[in-house]
Amino acid sequence: MLSTILDGLSLGAIYALIALGYTMVYGIAKMLNFAHGDIIMVGAYAILVTLNANGHPFLAVIAAVLVCMILGIIIEKVAYKPLRGASPLAVLITAIGVSYLLQSVAQLIFGSKSQAVTITTAKMVKIASAEFNLNTILTLVVGAIIMIVLTLFIKFTRTGRAMQAVSEDRGAAQLMGVNVNKIIMITFAIGSALAACAGVFYLMQIPSVSPTLGSMPGIKAFAAAVIGGIGSIPGAMLGGVLLGVVEKLALNVPVLAPYANAIVFALLIIILLVRPIGLLGKKRREKV
Amino acid sequence: MSYLKNVKKGMRFKDMFNYLIIVVMLVVPLLIGVFDNLPRSSSGLLAQMAYSILLAVSLNLVVGFLGELSLGHAGFMCVGAYIGCYLAKELYDVIDSKLLVLIISMLVGGLVAAVFGFIIGLPALRLKGDYLAIVTLAFGEIVRTIFKNLPTFGAALGLSTKKYGNDLYIVALVVVLISLFLIQNIIRSKHGRAITAIRDNEIAAKAMGINITYYKLFVFVFAAFFAGIAGVIYGSYVTPVVYSFFSFNYSIEILVMVVLGGMGNITGSIISAVFITYLNFTLQTQLSGDLAALRYLVYAIILIVVVIFNNAPALKSVRERFSISNLFRSKKKNNPSKQYSDTNRWDVVTTKIPMDEVLTTDVKQEDPYKPDKKEKGGK
Amino acid sequence: MKKSVKKVLAVVLALTFVAFCFSACGGTGDKKDTGNGYTANNTEYFIGTTGPLTGDAASYGNSVKNGAMLAIDEINAAGGLNGVKFKFDMKDDKATAQDATTGYNSLLEAGMQISLGSVTTDSCDAFAASAVEDNLFYITPSASAAKVIEGRDNGFRVCFGDPDQGTLAADYLTEKYKNVGIIYNTSDTYSTGVYDAFKAEMDAKGTAFKSATFDNETNKDFSTQIEQLKDCDVIFLPMYYQEGSLICKAATAKGCKADLIGSDGFDGIKDLIDAKTVTNKVMYITPFDTDSKDPTVSKFVANYQAKYNALPDQFAADGYDAVYAIFRAMEKAGVNDVTISPSDLCEKVKAAITADDFSLTGATGTMTWDASGACSKPLQFKAVN
Repeated sequence: MLSTILDGLSLGAIYALIALGYTMVYGIAKMLNFAHGDIIMVGAYAILVTLNANGHPFLAVIAAVLVCMILGIIIEKVAYKPLRGASPLAVLITAIGVSYLLQSVAQLIFGSKSQAVTITTAKMVKIASAEFNLNTILTLVVGAIIMIVLTLFIKFTRTGRAMQAVSEDRGAAQLMGVNVNKIIMITFAIGSALAACAGVFYLMQIPSVSPTLGSMPGIKAFAAAVIGGIGSIPGAMLGGVLLGVVEKLALNVPVLAPYANAIVFALLIIILLVRPIGLLGKKRREKV
Repeated sequence: MSYLKNVKKGMRFKDMFNYLIIVVMLVVPLLIGVFDNLPRSSSGLLAQMAYSILLAVSLNLVVGFLGELSLGHAGFMCVGAYIGCYLAKELYDVIDSKLLVLIISMLVGGLVAAVFGFIIGLPALRLKGDYLAIVTLAFGEIVRTIFKNLPTFGAALGLSTKKYGNDLYIVALVVVLISLFLIQNIIRSKHGRAITAIRDNEIAAKAMGINITYYKLFVFVFAAFFAGIAGVIYGSYVTPVVYSFFSFNYSIEILVMVVLGGMGNITGSIISAVFITYLNFTLQTQLSGDLAALRYLVYAIILIVVVIFNNAPALKSVRERFSISNLFRSKKKNNPSKQYSDTNRWDVVTTKIPMDEVLTTDVKQEDPYKPDKKEKGGK
Repeated sequence: MKKSVKKVLAVVLALTFVAFCFSACGGTGDKKDTGNGYTANNTEYFIGTTGPLTGDAASYGNSVKNGAMLAIDEINAAGGLNGVKFKFDMKDDKATAQDATTGYNSLLEAGMQISLGSVTTDSCDAFAASAVEDNLFYITPSASAAKVIEGRDNGFRVCFGDPDQGTLAADYLTEKYKNVGIIYNTSDTYSTGVYDAFKAEMDAKGTAFKSATFDNETNKDFSTQIEQLKDCDVIFLPMYYQEGSLICKAATAKGCKADLIGSDGFDGIKDLIDAKTVTNKVMYITPFDTDSKDPTVSKFVANYQAKYNALPDQFAADGYDAVYAIFRAMEKAGVNDVTISPSDLCEKVKAAITADDFSLTGATGTMTWDASGACSKPLQFKAVN
């Protein structure tokens, strides 16, 4: 049981990292970036390439983060920026187009076969008579650190406060001298870097990479972001962790296991019915 | 009152044009069939187009007319396909006429899907925007997961159905024609205006005395019904019906059709459904073997370019210059005496003012949050 | 208003006319809708198939395609059948029934005479449902579910049926081990097919076993399943090597000491695991062994590596054998007419392939077929490490 919850927490940490990217991009650019999951896949391939070139795992992680940041910025400039001001659905469809594009380019370059990636070999540690996988604990600790740093960054730096301002009211922020384009670019860069980090942890738990790797974690993370209240950073963390733990618990009960996915999504519906703005979402009220 | 007449005529003309598209799709292949055998791939493609049109038009009701984003439309199709085709399989033993069986199973499949539409419409009363979108997405996944685990419906193997045959496209297109008739008449009626009023401003619509609960549920039920029918057509075109087809990706594909065609534009939905189905068909059959990996690359590039061209604010002047409607309007524009004054043409004046943005205010923590309806146990 | 109506009508009529012209151009020749009228202009024997070349299952389709292409190239280089060469085409079906049906129709109209069916079970079922109507011979390399060839005279397959493996594994495991566990994939027909047979055999024996499931559509993290089966001596894994390798790694990572036994889909796992990441003993059931000293196998492996710069997996071997099965059967039946219709060819090939004296020694062993379409070939357990 304890071990299941720990597994759930580390899976949740991965979801949370992806959901953070989703939620930041949503909060600031007001768009659902469905290509976000595929950025994880690109990061995973970047790790694969570096490791195959006999690079150190740390180098591989840095390479993945850099590649994803640059990719995020390019995607924003080419595909999303021309549509700023257009209907959010149009941007959504472009994001889907970008997602297809990344998948098929990955298939063209690396082939459709999944390839093994070993970042670290598993080590077991003993804590209070139970054995745990070191990778699981590493994921949890590093995940938590990243989230704390991100929260501090947004709360206390100039850029972070500018981000808050843009997410609150883009027009007003612009009038106050915030460079909105630059802020959106930085958001995409940070979101993609987070996706790359999520990709690293994903590969530590599931050591194989294929062109469609990102699609399901992407959807789950979207769900996590919405459960937590889309646009809210602590909400994305909470949603991700909750989703991961529930999924693992459901999988642990043999009768429910085939329905694990349905249970996760049913939980999502129930949470949203009780709190239509997500767990930590901000209340907005319409007046006439 | 003359402008009202013009408006009505304009709308009727648009409706007629939609019927015309479907009739052409129906008559041309029939005529070809008279002189020569219609290739099976063409009749199959037409059947595919028929259910794509049904799906796109019905999703447009939700997304374009009601203004709620739905990412689970394939879920309704899934329900219709499984239930309708299961029934059809049983009925083939009892009823001889396969046309009758198809019609009955379409009705039943549609009705069961409509029940699910009602269920998913309930959260829609409480949720908005992306929150509703994720609920519909979740619904689609739940439906799929359940059918996957039911042995009655073949579990992971899928439900083996009986194929209708090569003339399925005739039935399918006639069904599309009837559905279009129903949908367009609803849209043109006072109910349709109530629905668009809810889209444009829910609170204002409520203040006008529109029953929001009723209309929201109505749209979801109505759209689900047609999606269910589309599912039965799908199940009569291919066997087996397998849960994996109705994934999130397929819901997205339907949404792509709606967005490309234009929100709240039935003609656009029809044309883009035909276009995307044809594009997929061509890419699939032309790019075979080693070239197949290019399939989604081409698709994605076309998608991105078309969406950016259609929507980018910077390209507005380019769009207006090459707009198809200019072909018909150019003369009118040059003749000032035939131009309508703006006050008379209320139908071309945009009614969609971004009220939400203007009027939304943030609620402070200490502000009491009052929902629309009194919460149970509240004062 | 009236003018624009007229304009639209004119445009529509014009389009209609153009459509007519096109159809008239394409409509030359006597096309009967029996599916047998399209082969009149063939100059090569046309083998068609559909398979997933994009999407989640793309690696299976691409492997089959590579294996089949290799066989076609070899046959053509050796002069084809009485000097007539073979043509091979595979349409992408994303593992869906819809695209398999579309692919079948377009292949048929392009002159397909004989086929490899389809790669995955669902799409092969769809392919077969159409092929039955035209009496087109298909021999699927890898769709293993019973229903793919059941009740269809024109359907054959190269791989094992799911039930055979499940039964074999149940017998073997109960003989050698005490605590037996199984992990299977509820979203995959191959995996559930083997599981069902396995369970039936175990129940018949009265042996209890532990089971855990997963769903590769949604989940690729296997720590929970391993946790549940930690105490078993052996875990049977009826699935493909991609998930299989992950389970093996999860077992080692979780400190589970059980032996891991895979089904024939495990082939290819060697690329994905090594002594560092997996310390458990891993074995699988297979008719095909890349290390085999058998000349047919080593020739296949060498040629495949030379052409694609990768080790073949079982899908590639099955695709290779399926093409050779067609070729040898056509050779034996004495097919001599390049424009032969699918239906006529089907009758000839069917008679040849089910004949008592027909057997094929291919990359996956020596195979014979009976009228049911199932393939019988020897099975072996192969250790990976």
